[in-house]
Amino acid sequence: MPPKRKAPPGQATASKAGRASAMSTPGPATPRSIGSSAMSDADEDFDEDVSEAQKEREALMTKEADEFVSKFTLGSKRFQGQIDDSSREVRRYDAATPFFRKRDFSHLPLKPDHQNRPLWIDPDSCTIVLERFNPLAEQATDFLITIAEPKSRPTFLHEYALTPHSLYAAVSVGLRPRDIINTLERFLKTSLPDVVRRKIEDYTRSFGKVKLVLKHNSYFVESADAEVLQTLLKDKVIGGLRIQGSGGVTTSYAPTMGGLVIPGTQNAAGVHQANLNKAERMPGDAGDPSNEADLLTALNEEDDDDDKEAVHSFQISEDNVETVQKRCLDIGYPILEEYDFRNDDVNPNLEIDLRPNTQIRPYQEKSLSKMFGNGRAKSGIIVLPCGAGKTLVGITAACTIKKGVIVLCTSSMSVVQWRQEFLKWSNINPDDIAIFTAESKNKFSGSTGIIVTTYSMVTNSRERSHDSKKMMDFLRGREWGLMLLDEVHVVPAEMFRRVISSIKSHSKLGLTATLLREDDKISHLNFLIGPKLYEANWMELSQQGHIAKVQCAEVWCPMPTEFYDEYLRASARMKRTLYAMNPRKFQACQYLINYHEARGDKIIVFSDELYSLKQYALKLKKVFIYGGTSQAERMQVLENFQHNPEVNTLFLSKIGDTSLDLPEDLPHPDLVPLRLPPPRGPSAAFSARSAATTRASTPFYSLVSKDTQEMYYSSKRQAFLVDQGYAFKVITQLANIENTPDLAFATPQETRELLQRTLVDNERGAEDDVETDDLFGKPGRGRGGGGGARKGNGVRRTAGMLSELAGGQDMAYIEQNKAVNKALRAAGGKKKAGGGGEGQSKFFKGIQREKDKSKAQARAG
Amino acid sequence: MVKAVRGVLVECEPAIKSILVHIDSTHHNEFIIEDLDETHLFVKETMLHLLKQKLEERLKETYRPEEPLEDSE
Repeated sequence: MPPKRKAPPGQATASKAGRASAMSTPGPATPRSIGSSAMSDADEDFDEDVSEAQKEREALMTKEADEFVSKFTLGSKRFQGQIDDSSREVRRYDAATPFFRKRDFSHLPLKPDHQNRPLWIDPDSCTIVLERFNPLAEQATDFLITIAEPKSRPTFLHEYALTPHSLYAAVSVGLRPRDIINTLERFLKTSLPDVVRRKIEDYTRSFGKVKLVLKHNSYFVESADAEVLQTLLKDKVIGGLRIQGSGGVTTSYAPTMGGLVIPGTQNAAGVHQANLNKAERMPGDAGDPSNEADLLTALNEEDDDDDKEAVHSFQISEDNVETVQKRCLDIGYPILEEYDFRNDDVNPNLEIDLRPNTQIRPYQEKSLSKMFGNGRAKSGIIVLPCGAGKTLVGITAACTIKKGVIVLCTSSMSVVQWRQEFLKWSNINPDDIAIFTAESKNKFSGSTGIIVTTYSMVTNSRERSHDSKKMMDFLRGREWGLMLLDEVHVVPAEMFRRVISSIKSHSKLGLTATLLREDDKISHLNFLIGPKLYEANWMELSQQGHIAKVQCAEVWCPMPTEFYDEYLRASARMKRTLYAMNPRKFQACQYLINYHEARGDKIIVFSDELYSLKQYALKLKKVFIYGGTSQAERMQVLENFQHNPEVNTLFLSKIGDTSLDLPEDLPHPDLVPLRLPPPRGPSAAFSARSAATTRASTPFYSLVSKDTQEMYYSSKRQAFLVDQGYAFKVITQLANIENTPDLAFATPQETRELLQRTLVDNERGAEDDVETDDLFGKPGRGRGGGGGARKGNGVRRTAGMLSELAGGQDMAYIEQNKAVNKALRAAGGKKKAGGGGEGQSKFFKGIQREKDKSKAQARAG
Repeated sequence: MVKAVRGVLVECEPAIKSILVHIDSTHHNEFIIEDLDETHLFVKETMLHLLKQKLEERLKETYRPEEPLEDSE
C-alpha cells in the first residue's frame, strides 16, 4: 500500500544555490577537460568555439559557484577550530593518552547499554563509525546513508562523514534537524557531543526552509515557517516581485505521499490486486503496511501524531524565478525545487506505465522513495553502480511522473540504448518516444512524449542544420516534467548550466555510478541538479546478487632496463606511453588472455592509452573499439564479441567507460577485464569502468609497470576498492609466463625494436595515424633512410628487405598485423560473395609467381 | 702516472641502477666510476652520500608518497 506515513511536516529542504546563478545566463560549453590527453578519443564533441564574452561570463559564474561552495568548507573549518578548543578542556590524561594523540575520546562517556548501539562518533572530524555486526546495523545504515557521506564500507566497520552537503541532502529528503539529532542520539554509544549537535543545527537551519513549487503552472515560494516567508517578503528585491493579485500569503496543507504509488514496487502490485478485488477501494489504502521497508518510517514514528502541517506560500511570476532564486541564496535561504506533478493539469499526461511483469529491486525502490518522498518529485542525483539498473530507475521515475520526459545521454549509442530500454520496460507507444541525434531528428506524434538526446546536441551553439534548429526550438518551447541526466559525473559543469538553462523542466534526476569527478566540480552538481538522494552500497548489492562479485588482482610487471632508461628521460606524456608499452606488461597481458581464453572466458582489455591499445590489439590479433571506430563497425565488433566463439577478446579504449554500454547478456559468465595502464585521474574513470564490467562475476586484473608513476595511481585505486569493501591481491610474478608459446617480445632484440618503434611513432606527437604503420611514406623520418640507395651508381636491381636499405634492420617495419576488425568485416563480405579461393584471382596469382621468379633470378645472378 | 680513486661497489635493482645512471648523467658524470653490469655500479666514495640523497629525492618524485594521514601528527 502506499505508505501511511506522512512526509515530515517541516519539509525542510535544501538550497539550490549554484543553480540560481546558473540560470541567469545561458552558459556555453566548457573547454573540454578531456583534451589534455592529446588523443581525441572522446565520443562526443563538445564545441569549443565560444565567444570571448561568453567565456568571461562563464568564468565569472564558475567563480561564483566556487565561492559559494567554499563558503561551506571554510565554515566547517572554522567550526572545527572551535571544537578543538572546547573539547580539549574536558580531556583527561593518563598513561595511554599519548598513543591516541588527538584521537583520544575517552572523555565521551559511554552509555550503560552501549553494546546494543551500533555507532561511534569522532566529534573532531564528524566521522561516524558503524559496527556492521551490531543487530541494529541495518537500520543505522539506512539512516546514515541519508545523512552522511559513505567513506569506507568494508565488511565489518563502516565509516561515514557528516558534511554540509550530506546534511543538505538529508534535509532535502525531508528529515528535520530534530529527527537527525534524536536518531543519532539513539544509535550512538556515547551521548551526542555538543559540537556535533551544534554543527548539525547550524547547517540545517538555513537549508530547505524555502521551496520553489511549480503548481498549476505558476511558481510559488513555499515555506513551513511563516516567519521566514515574512522575512522574504520584507526583502526589497523579493517583496517587489510577488504577484499582488494572489492575495498575499496563503496557507495550505503540506503534501503527503498519499495515494502516490511508485510503479513496479510491491506497493504497486498491492494496488493492482486491490483494484481487482475491490474497485471502489482507494489506491491509497491498498496493500500491506508491513511491506513498508522505508527508513523514514522509523524516523517519522514520532511525527505520526501531529496531523497535517500548514505551509505558507506566495506566488511569483515565471520571469522572476531566477532573480528570486539568486536573491534567496544571497540572503541565506537557498531554495529547493519541487514538482507537484499530480496536480499539474496544464501539461498533458503521458500514457506510460511499467509493464506488469516488471519488478524493481529493493534498492531501486528505496532510491525512488527518496525522490518521491512527499508525493512531489524532488530533483537530485541517484548513485548506483553500473549494471545495477540505473536505466530502470530513470524509467520508473518517468512512469511515476507521467509527463513529458527528456533524456540526456553521453553518446548517440546510448541514446539508442535508452530508447530500447524504455520500450522494453514500459508500455509506452513507440511513436511517443523520439530520438534527437545528428542522424535522426524525430518528434513524437502526440501532445507529449519522450525525447532521448545527447548533451552535445542540446548544448551545441554552432551553426546547425535547419532540422536541428527547429528541433531545438521545439525542445526549448515546452515544459518538461522530468529531465533525466545520464552519467552526470562525466559532463562538464558548464554544460549542465547550458542544458538546464535552455530546457525548462520541472524536476531533474541525475544518474551516475560515481560522484567522483575529474574536474572537482562535483560540489557544483549538488547545486545544479540537486542533492544526492541515494547511494548504493556495492558490497551489499553484490552480496544480494544484484551486481557481480569482483576479485581484484594487480599484476606488477618490471620495466626492462632499456625502457626504464628511456622512461627516466621522457616527457610526461611519453612516460605514459612507455609504461603502457612495457613489453613485460605486454607479455603478462598475452599470458592472461591465453589463460582465460583457454578456459572459455570472454575478456575485455581496457586502456586509456590509445596508442598502446592499438599496438596491443594489432600484435595480439584481437578486435578493438576506440573513439574513431565508426558506429556500424562498433556494432559489428560487439556483436561478434557477444556471439562469435572465435572472438573472445575485446580491446576497449576510454569510450568503454561511459558511452559504450556493454551488452548485458554476454554468453559467458566469465568476463575477464584486464586493464593496462590505470587511469590518471582520481579513480573516477576506473570506478565507472570496473563497475561496468561487474555485469558478470569476474576476476579483474590490472597490469602495472613497476617503479613508475603507475604504482602511485594503482595505490590510490587500491584504497578506493578497499573502501568499497573489495579484497585486493597483488601478483608479482606470473608462474610459467616464459613458457607461453609465441610470447611477444621475448628476446632483448625484440624489446629494443619495440622501444624504438614506440619512440618514433610517438615522437611525431601524434597518435594520428599509427593505423597505417607506414613509416616509409612519411617525409622527414630522418633515419638515414634512402642513404643506401643514393650510394648506388645509377640503377641497380637487388633483392632485399626494404628495411635493410633504410639501414634499420633492427626495426620492425614489416608489421603484418592487421586490424582484426577489418578481418571481421571482410569475413562478412566474403560470405556474401560466395567465398573466392583465398580472395585472389588467377590474374594476381600469376603476377605474384612472376615476381617470385625474378627475385630468385636476381639472387642467383 | 697512476691515479687512484677510492670507490664503493653498489648493488641494486636494475630500475634503481637506471635512476642512478640518469642522475649521474645529469650531473656531469661525477658519481659513477664504472658501470659494471645490470645490477652493479662502482661509485666514487666521496660522492656516495650525495648520491643517496639525490636518489631519495628521485624516488619521492616517482612514488609521490601518500599524503600524511590526518591522525599521525
